[in-house]
Amino acid sequence: MNQSALWKRILRHKLFYLFMLPGIVWFFLFSYVPLYGVQVAFRDFMFSGGFTGSPWAGLKYFRQFFDYYQSYEIIRNTIVISLMKLLIGFSLPIILAVLLNEVRNVKFKKTVQTLSYLPHFVSWIVVVTLMQRLLTPYGGPVNDLLAAMGMQEPIQFLNNTSWFYQIIIGSEIWKSIGWNSIIYMAAIAGIDQQQYEAAKIDGANRFRQIWHVTLPGIRNIAVILFILSAGSLMSAGYEQLLLLNGPATAAIGSVLDVHVITSGISGGRLSYAAAVGLFQSVIAFILILTVNRIARKVSDVSLF
Amino acid sequence: MRNKRFKNASLLLVVIFMLGTLFACSNSSNSNNNQGADNGGSNTPSANNGVSEGGSGFEQVTLKVLHNWNGSTGSDVDMTAVEQVIKEKTGVTIEWEYTKGSEVEKVNAIFATQDLPDIYTGPAWGGELDGIIKAAKEDQLVDLSDKLDKYPNLAKGIAEENVPPALYEKAFNAYGGKQFLLYQNHPAAPEDAMDWLYGFYVRKDIAEKVGVDPQSIVTKEDLYGFLKKIKDAGLEENGLPVIPLGGFHNGWAVGIGSSMFYGAGYIDKGDGTLENSFFTKAYEDYTLYYRKMIEEGLLDPEAFTQTDPIANEKIKQGRIAVLAAHYPAILDASKDFVKAHPGSDYVPIGPLERAGAEPNRPVDLAIQGNNVTVIPKKSKNVDAALRLLDYLASDEGFMLVRYGVQGVHWDMENGKPVAKQEWFDKFTEDTTGKAKKNEGISIGLESMSGQDRIKSAAGGNIWDDQARIAAMDNARKILRPNGISVISAYNPGDVIVKSEQWEMLKPSMDKIGDVWKEAIYAKSDEAALKIINDLRGQMEKTGYKEAMAFVNENLKGKEVATLQMPN
Repeated sequence: MNQSALWKRILRHKLFYLFMLPGIVWFFLFSYVPLYGVQVAFRDFMFSGGFTGSPWAGLKYFRQFFDYYQSYEIIRNTIVISLMKLLIGFSLPIILAVLLNEVRNVKFKKTVQTLSYLPHFVSWIVVVTLMQRLLTPYGGPVNDLLAAMGMQEPIQFLNNTSWFYQIIIGSEIWKSIGWNSIIYMAAIAGIDQQQYEAAKIDGANRFRQIWHVTLPGIRNIAVILFILSAGSLMSAGYEQLLLLNGPATAAIGSVLDVHVITSGISGGRLSYAAAVGLFQSVIAFILILTVNRIARKVSDVSLF
Repeated sequence: MRNKRFKNASLLLVVIFMLGTLFACSNSSNSNNNQGADNGGSNTPSANNGVSEGGSGFEQVTLKVLHNWNGSTGSDVDMTAVEQVIKEKTGVTIEWEYTKGSEVEKVNAIFATQDLPDIYTGPAWGGELDGIIKAAKEDQLVDLSDKLDKYPNLAKGIAEENVPPALYEKAFNAYGGKQFLLYQNHPAAPEDAMDWLYGFYVRKDIAEKVGVDPQSIVTKEDLYGFLKKIKDAGLEENGLPVIPLGGFHNGWAVGIGSSMFYGAGYIDKGDGTLENSFFTKAYEDYTLYYRKMIEEGLLDPEAFTQTDPIANEKIKQGRIAVLAAHYPAILDASKDFVKAHPGSDYVPIGPLERAGAEPNRPVDLAIQGNNVTVIPKKSKNVDAALRLLDYLASDEGFMLVRYGVQGVHWDMENGKPVAKQEWFDKFTEDTTGKAKKNEGISIGLESMSGQDRIKSAAGGNIWDDQARIAAMDNARKILRPNGISVISAYNPGDVIVKSEQWEMLKPSMDKIGDVWKEAIYAKSDEAALKIINDLRGQMEKTGYKEAMAFVNENLKGKEVATLQMPN
């Protein structure tokens, strides 16, 4: 395609491009512009030198991270938590979207949709405070309910390794399931109704229609989202973990995201934190490339 | 036509959205600071910095002060009576910023992002002080060495004889003759020394209920037995179980029981050389003691993760039997509950045994200033900042920020300040402290008012009510039967930071507190010890032994503080 033809096409769809512009500007400002700061990972950051004037340090901070006695534990915890979030958190929004699509009572459907979206807009600090109030062993409603049902000793839900993963995954799902199902709802809405009619004529019941029409209809979007989610495998969610992880759960709850924040902002080791953050990003990038390649081979769907 | 209107409307919406995004990205609140920032390269005041001539003869200027003390708050009014006087005396209007969260994070963040106040004031210890020293060494602060002769009240505060020797070496005399830090609240005279009376305090009525005299508790076994008795009594308050032992935010200060196990952060190994107490058997015993308390439900399992509001809620509901902290904090937090339930006031336990100390030894306390103040180079008006700080450090300023306006809130009678009864009653009645703040007292100005001379120059705090004075005196009699001894010996912690291993060692040393907390929640004693040993291994890997050899070499023949109680 020659250049003038490309510009003509862009001009013809100018409105769509204009709609994309805020997103592009956002990515440029917050994802590309800060990239120049990556060099801090290779410098001894000084207040006076800033990003560009501090002396070079080579791979010193990367070595420090791998020499750190808890680096293996932190990487392992990050992968375990994010893998659980990925496997459980990825499938549930699809199930919710499919189930909602099958609901015929519009009022009920809208109510469930709205209620499931709402937690997305509640900040983690509020969610965690609510959880602390609900789950405390000292008069928390959950323990009161369990006591009313005959439980002898109250359960220490928070600050307890036995309940840590359930709390982390449960709260993550509660917060994100409704919001993440929106895109699948939109994909389902885009499926040609004639396909359902044809399936009905062929004798397909509701379950068969879901299996043969709905799920294939959202397959592509699911694969794309899975590829993108794979990038977050090295990122377990710093806000949630910062607030929910305590000394009692540190052995399984210390993750890279929080390590970056605590060593950088609390410990004042900004170059070290940048090095750990960069390591995290590079692994995430490799993961996206790998999953993208696998997806292209297996399903012909890929990001690029 | 309709389609065109729709297109135009869409276009308009997109443009509005984009503009909104861009405006949101900009930081309009910095617009005032930018002017100062542009002038920041030099230490001299600029003629073009929003200054105007006021009636007082001074240039009128607004300065942003960062009060880096977590949880500190200001008034609800724009200009308090005290701030009005300050404005008249110095021409400075103060715009406050208070820290909500970690003070260390705040220090690191302001210098890393260069979002700097005109005056910074904050803790004179720990990571906060380290951050300020780093900023001084990296040329971020105004050098005051050629200015202090014009500001005698400030010069007095950092004279060598008015700063503890180790701190002087570490933070004040460490820049080749330059002077960056100002120092506050160091006691001007022995009678000004503040003993915060850290300890374990029990609700009097609960001690009576379980039939234990708080003064009969001396050993760690006694304390454990007492807490167990409280737990076994199954007491309830407001329908909720009473927690035997608790503290304030993030576990402050439940760990003070360490003094029953080891004397100080560094101890004598017995051969004249020093060791960090983290490496000792006593530290292991201390950890396992607390682990046992957590396991048996004697120590609040939420103590280390709770915020101050949640901790205060528990205290206000009377749900904590024994509190570990300093006494003024306990008195403040329990005020409401005690008012509603007479006889439930917290009284001291002990005095508890002190590891390595003879029973008749005075309590060793490190009493020194708690605050440093600096002027970042980007301050919009250095002279106005110094004028303000010098006034606050004067006797007049000291009394103003602590007592309020003379003639309005207090009067001078027979050479002594006396509170006006109406204000005394008003402040005593108000359990929130807001009434005082709205007059300009306790809003952070006291952090910048020079040496502490509350008794030697200001006759003793006029706002302390009799009940509080009596409670403090009573606690002092019990907890300090042999008086106190102010530590003047060297602290090895101030020396180890000068070792060449410190840069690598510091991150491991910073983990000691976190690792201790992690260990006390461990599933078994073995797991707890493994957690401690893992960090010991990391510390050794990052140069601990070499750093300690440096410390021992430097402190050879010098008196070292190996006994120290929290203060």
